[in-house]
Amino acid sequence: MATRKKSLLKVIILGDSSVGKTSLMNQYVNKRFSNQYKATIGADFCTKEVVVNDRVVTMQIWDTAGQERFQSLGVAFYRGADCCVLVYDVTAPNSFKNLDSWRDEFLIQASPRDPEHFPFVVLGNKVDLDNRQVSTRRAQQWCQSKNDIPYYETSAKEGINVEMAFQTIAKNALEQEAEAEVINDFPDQIILNSQNNRPGNPDNCQC
Amino acid sequence: MVQTNADGCEYKERLIASVKKEVKQLMEEAVTKKYVHEESSSVTSLCGAVEACLSQGLRRRALGLFKTSSTTALLHKIAKSCPEAEHISKLVQEIEAMDPNKRSSSSSDSFQRPPMLKKSSSNSMQSASSSSNALGMASTSSAASGSVSVSVSLASASSSSIALASMKYLWIRLALYEKRLTKIIEYLVGNASSFYDRDSLVADSDYGSILSSLLVGPCALDFTRAKTADHYWTDPHADELVQRHRISSGRRSSSTCSRPAIINFKRSLNTSSDEASTGSFKSMASASVAKDYVESLHQNAKATLLYGKNNVHVLPKDVAEPMAGYLSLHQHIQTLTIKWTPNQLMNGYNEADEGEDIDKEAFWAYALNINVDEIVYVHCHQSRGEDSGGTVILVGQDGVQRPPIHFPEGGHMQQFLSCLETGLLPHGQLDPPLWSQRGIGKMFLWPKSMRRRILPSVMESVDEMPIDYVFRIVSKSRHEEFAATHSILDFVRSTPRRAQLSSCSTTGSSDCSNKSLSIDQYPLESPLLLQQQHAQNTSIEMVCSTMRRQIISRAFYGWLAYCRHLSTVRTHLSGLVHGRITPEMKADEEGLTRERWQLLNVDGVLENATEFYRLVYFGGVQPELRQEVWPYLLGHYAFGSSLEERKKQDETCKHYYETTMSEWLAVDAIVQQREKEKTARAVAKLSSSGSNSGNERTVRAADLDAGGELENEVFEDISDISDPGDLEFDDEQRHQQQQQQQQQQQGQVQQQKQKQQHQHQEEKPVSGMHLCVKPIPRAMKTSTDSGHVDEGENFNELDEEQEQEQQEKINAEAPPPIASCSASTASSYETVGVGGAGHQAASDSRSRSVLSPEYLSAEDLQLPEDDDDEAVKPPQQQQQQQAAVIITNASVDIANWERSPKSGNSQQMSPVQEQTPVLDALQQPKSACASPASSNGGVYSSELLEQFGLNLHRIEKDVQRCDRNYWYFANENLDKLRNVISTYVWEHLDVGYMQGMCDLVAPLLVIFDDESLSYSCFCKLMERMIENFPSGGAMDMHFANMRSLIQILDSEMYDLMDSNGDYTHFYFCYRWFLLDFKRELVYDDVFATWEVIWAAKHIASGHFVLFLALALLETYRDIILSNSMDFTDVIKFFNEMAERHNAQAVLQLARSLVLQLQMIIENK
Repeated sequence: MATRKKSLLKVIILGDSSVGKTSLMNQYVNKRFSNQYKATIGADFCTKEVVVNDRVVTMQIWDTAGQERFQSLGVAFYRGADCCVLVYDVTAPNSFKNLDSWRDEFLIQASPRDPEHFPFVVLGNKVDLDNRQVSTRRAQQWCQSKNDIPYYETSAKEGINVEMAFQTIAKNALEQEAEAEVINDFPDQIILNSQNNRPGNPDNCQC
Repeated sequence: MVQTNADGCEYKERLIASVKKEVKQLMEEAVTKKYVHEESSSVTSLCGAVEACLSQGLRRRALGLFKTSSTTALLHKIAKSCPEAEHISKLVQEIEAMDPNKRSSSSSDSFQRPPMLKKSSSNSMQSASSSSNALGMASTSSAASGSVSVSVSLASASSSSIALASMKYLWIRLALYEKRLTKIIEYLVGNASSFYDRDSLVADSDYGSILSSLLVGPCALDFTRAKTADHYWTDPHADELVQRHRISSGRRSSSTCSRPAIINFKRSLNTSSDEASTGSFKSMASASVAKDYVESLHQNAKATLLYGKNNVHVLPKDVAEPMAGYLSLHQHIQTLTIKWTPNQLMNGYNEADEGEDIDKEAFWAYALNINVDEIVYVHCHQSRGEDSGGTVILVGQDGVQRPPIHFPEGGHMQQFLSCLETGLLPHGQLDPPLWSQRGIGKMFLWPKSMRRRILPSVMESVDEMPIDYVFRIVSKSRHEEFAATHSILDFVRSTPRRAQLSSCSTTGSSDCSNKSLSIDQYPLESPLLLQQQHAQNTSIEMVCSTMRRQIISRAFYGWLAYCRHLSTVRTHLSGLVHGRITPEMKADEEGLTRERWQLLNVDGVLENATEFYRLVYFGGVQPELRQEVWPYLLGHYAFGSSLEERKKQDETCKHYYETTMSEWLAVDAIVQQREKEKTARAVAKLSSSGSNSGNERTVRAADLDAGGELENEVFEDISDISDPGDLEFDDEQRHQQQQQQQQQQQGQVQQQKQKQQHQHQEEKPVSGMHLCVKPIPRAMKTSTDSGHVDEGENFNELDEEQEQEQQEKINAEAPPPIASCSASTASSYETVGVGGAGHQAASDSRSRSVLSPEYLSAEDLQLPEDDDDEAVKPPQQQQQQQAAVIITNASVDIANWERSPKSGNSQQMSPVQEQTPVLDALQQPKSACASPASSNGGVYSSELLEQFGLNLHRIEKDVQRCDRNYWYFANENLDKLRNVISTYVWEHLDVGYMQGMCDLVAPLLVIFDDESLSYSCFCKLMERMIENFPSGGAMDMHFANMRSLIQILDSEMYDLMDSNGDYTHFYFCYRWFLLDFKRELVYDDVFATWEVIWAAKHIASGHFVLFLALALLETYRDIILSNSMDFTDVIKFFNEMAERHNAQAVLQLARSLVLQLQMIIENK
C-alpha cells in the first residue's frame, strides 16, 4: 500500500445548463441525488479517490456553469485538464446540438498538447425520463465522427451508468497522463537497456 | 514444512501473536474512530494474519488443492457441511464471477444496467486474475439482499493493488464483514483432522481455539464503507477544518468569527522590533496565540530552552505587588529571548473558568518577552549576607528599565546569569565575564562567599547592604557599531553616566559599575582607544556626525517608505471608501426599528436620507419593515416623496410592467407552440426511427419532404425540422389573416399580396398534410384553453377543406378577439405596437429594412389613423380596421420573407385567439394588451423569437431550480419569479438572461411579494449588478481591488496568495460578487447583508462588497493560513461553507475594515 503513487486527474464537466452536470458529479462522488440543485454559478469541484490500473488517483471533478456566457470564466479551470466530460440531456436536442461548440471551445481554451487525441467522454443524461428526443444512434454517430469518443447514457437521478462512465473517464484521463509520462520515461529506458548490455559485454569479450 | 516440534511451536506462537496484534490494532481503531472502514489497512493485515494461520499445515495434497488461494478452496470445500462457509463461499463466487468483465460498476446489482453503448477501448480485463480459484466461477446464484451490498462494495473497490489485496483474502474479508469468520474457524478447528496436519496450528488443541476466540471481537464489529475509500486521502471538508480550528484555538474562541482577524496595518509597515520587544500581548490576546505562547515556553524545534524557573516575581508597571511567574531563557538561531509569564497564564490555560477569562486578558499585558539583543545592561541586586535570591533589572538600548525580576532564594539569579552568559556565546558575552573576573572558580562564588573585593571597605552594616553588579552585554557581531557607541559613552559622557549609575544604585554599586565599564573596555577596545585618546576630540566629532547621519538617514528612509506606502494606498484604494467617516451607532441604537422608522417617516414622507442610511448601514432593518424600506434603499422611491406620489409611481410601474409582460407573453405563446411542435416532431421522429431500426425515415411524405435532405445530418436536423413546421404554421395564420383582409376589403394592395401569398402557398403543398401529425398544434396559456380544442379541430379541418370553407370557419372564430380589442384602450395598444416594432427594429435590422418600405408604401394611408386612435377612443370599426392593417402589414412582411432565400426563418404570427387566454391570465382589464396588436406577430422577427425563446427556456430551467428548499419557492411563486425575470429580459434583450439573475430577483420577490415592485427594484439593482456579469467589466475590477485590499490590510494572507500563484485570480470570490453573497448566506442573512450593501453606498463605501468579501476571507484567515490553502482549496472551502457563515459577524468585520481603511487614508 505504501507504494501507491498518488496523482491528480483533473476532469472538467461541460454542457448546457441544466443537463445535469452537478447531479452527475454528486451522484458519482456522494452517491446522492437531489432535486434541489441550484444553477451552478462560478465553479465548484469535488474530489474522489479512484483506483485505475493499480494506481490510486485523485479525481478532481470540476463542475462548471452551463451558460455559454460564462465560458470565459472557465479558462482558468480548463487548463491542465486530463479529461473533458461533455454532457447533454437526451430530452433536450439543443443540448446535444451544442456539444460541438462545447468541445471546440474546450479545445481552444484548454489548448491541450494533442487536441486530436485529447480524451473526451460524452454522457447522455436523464435517460430515466420518458420524453427522450435524441436517439442513441445519433449520439453514437456524433461520437464516432469525433474520433471515437466513448459514449454513455446515464441517469444521475437513478445512478444509471454513472459509476461506469466515471471509471472510463478516470482511465482515459490516466492514459492521457501516462502518455505524457512515457515521453519522460523514455531516456530512462535507454539507460536501462545500456546497463543491461554492459554486464553482457565482458562475457562476450572472453573470446 | 519440515519443522521440528520446537520450531513448529515457535512458528505457531508467532502466527498467533501476529493475529493477536492485528486484532488489537483493529479493535483500537474501532474504538478510537468509532467505526472501521472495510478497506482499512488493519482489516487487510488481520486477514493476512488469519490466512497465514489457516494455511499453516493445511493438507493441500490430500485435499487436491492448488497452491494459490488454498484457503479459499478450503472454504468451498467445507461449504458443503458448514452453513456459514456455504454462505461466504457463495458470496465469493459471485464476486469472482462478476469480476473479470465488470469490476467497476457498483450499480450493477441494484437495477438493470442499460447496455454500455460504446465500449471504451479496454475494459479492465487485466485486473485481478489472481483471484480466480480452483472451483471455477460459473454459478451466479442470486444473492440475498444483505450480500448484495457487500459484493457491490467490493466490486466498487475494483481492480488495482487494493483490490488485489482484498481479493487475496477475499473470503476472510467477507466472512469478517458478515460476522461469520469465527464460526467458520470454529468449524475448521473442530474438523481439523480432515483438513490439517496433525501438528498444524488449527489442529492444535490450544492454538486452534485461541484463534477462533481471538476473532470473536473483530467479528462483532460493524464495518463501514460509508465514505468509500476516499476519506483516507481526500482533503478535509470545510466543516472539519472549521472544527479543527475551533479545537486548536481553545475554548475561548467559541466561534471562528469571534476574533476579528489580525489585520495589522502597522505590522506590514514596520515589521521589526515592535512585536518582539514590547512584551505586550494585547494585540495577540487570542486563545490560539495563548496556546502557541505557552508551547513556545517549552523546548521546541525552533528554540532551545536554556533556563526555566517558576515563581520568579516580577513587578509589572502598574501593578502594586510583584507577581509570580515563569521565567525562561530561550535560544533561537539568531537571538536570545528572556520570557516571563505570569502564573495565571501558565496554569490557567486549561483550567480557568469563564470568570477568569476576562482577567486573563489583562495578564497578557504583564508578560515579558525581551530580546536580549536589545538589552545593554544587566543590573543585579542582592541583599548581602543572606541567600535572599536577587533582583535582576534589564536595561535596554533605549535606556529604559524593564520591570525588575525577583529571583527566589537558592542562587537562582546566579544560575540565570550563568545561563545567560552561556546563551550569549559565541557571538556575545557578559561583560565583565561572570566568573573569570573572580578568578576563583566557575560558579557563583561571589554572593555567597563574599570574597569579592570590589566592595569598598567603607561599607558598613554589611548585612543590609545590597550587593549590586552591572553587567554589560557585549555582542561581537556588532563590534563596529558598538565601538562607536562605546567611545561616546566612555569619553563623552562617561562621567555623567557613571554619576547616573551611581545615583541610581547604592554606593557599592557605583564602584561596581565603574569597574565593569573599565573592564568592559579593556579586552575589546583598548588598542583602538589608546590610539584614539590622542585625537580624542576629532574622533568623537567624527563618530558623532556619523551617528547623526545614520540616525537621520534611517529616519528618513523609514518616513519615505511610509509615505510611499500611503500613496499606494491612496491611489489604489481611496476610491473604495468615502473620505468622510460617519460616526458609528451609539450602543443603544439598533438599526432601523419601527419606532425609528416612524420618527423618520413623518407623514409618510421620508426626508432625512443620511440618518436613514446610517441606521441601515450600522444596524440593518427590522424584518417586517423591509417591504416598506427597501424601495427607498434601492432608489425606487425618492426621498421626500409623498404617499400619493409613491402610489402613483407604483401604479405607473404596475401598468408598465403589465404592458411589457403582455408583450412578451404573446411571444412566449408563439415560442411555446414552436417548442411543442419541435418536441412532438422530435419524439415522433425518434419513435419512428426506433421502429425503423434507427433510420431517420418517417412514414409521412411530409416529413420525408421536410427532413429528407437532413437525414444524415447529426445536428442540423433538429432545428431544421422545426422550421418547416413553422412555415406551415405561418401558412395557417396567413390563411386567417387573409380571411380578415378579405372581410375588410382593404384594397387592391392587399389583394395583390394575397395573391402572392396564395402563389407561395401553392409552392408548398406539404403544409396541410404536415399539420396532421402534430399532436398539439397550438400552445396555449394554461388558463383558458377553450379555444384550443376548436383550434385543433380547425387545423385538422383546414388540412382537408378548401379555402372557402376555411374562410367560414375563421369568420366564426374571428369576432371574439376583435371584440375584446374594442374594450382596450388605444394608448396601450399604441405602446404595444410601437414597442413591438421597436424591438423588431432593434433586433433585426434586416427585417426592418424589409419592413419599413412596406410601412411606407402600402400602409401610409393607415398610419395616420394610428395617431388618431391614440387620441380618441376609436369606434370598433376603426379598431378592427387597424388590427387588420397591422396584420396585413405583417403578412406582407411574411410574404417578403418567404420570398427571400432564407425561407427557413419565416415570420411568425401569433394567433389572434390566443390573446384572450393571455388576458385572463393577467386578470388585467385595464391592460390593453388585448388588442390584436400585441398578438401582432408580424412585427416579431424570427431572430427575435428565437432569441427570446432561448432566453425563456433558460429562465424556465433556472426558475425551476431556484431555491426550492426555501418555503417561498417550494411550491408556488415560481411563476412570479419567471414573470419578473422574463419581463426584465424582454426589456433588455440585448443583454439577455444570464444565470444568476434568478438569484437576484428571488430575495426581492420574497420581501415584496409583488411582481411589479420587485421588477422595478430589480431593474434598479441590476444597474449596479449587470456590470458583474460576463458582459460587464466589474468583476475583473473587483478582483484587482481585492488584491490591493489584501495587500494593504493583510500582508500575511497576501504573501500566501502570492506564493500560490494562481490564487490571485480570486475566482473564489466570483459568486460572491456576482450575486452579492446571495448564495453564501441563508435568506435572512441575505436580506440583512443586501440592505447594508445598499446603504453603505451612501454612508461609507460604494464598494462595500469588497469589504464583505475581505471580511469573509479574514474570518477564516487562520484556517486558510494554517492549511496554506491554494486556489482550489479556497474555492472548495468556501463552496462548502456556503450558507453557514455568521453573517452579522462578517458584516461587523466588514464595517470595521471600511473604517480601518478610512483611517489609513485619513491619516495621510
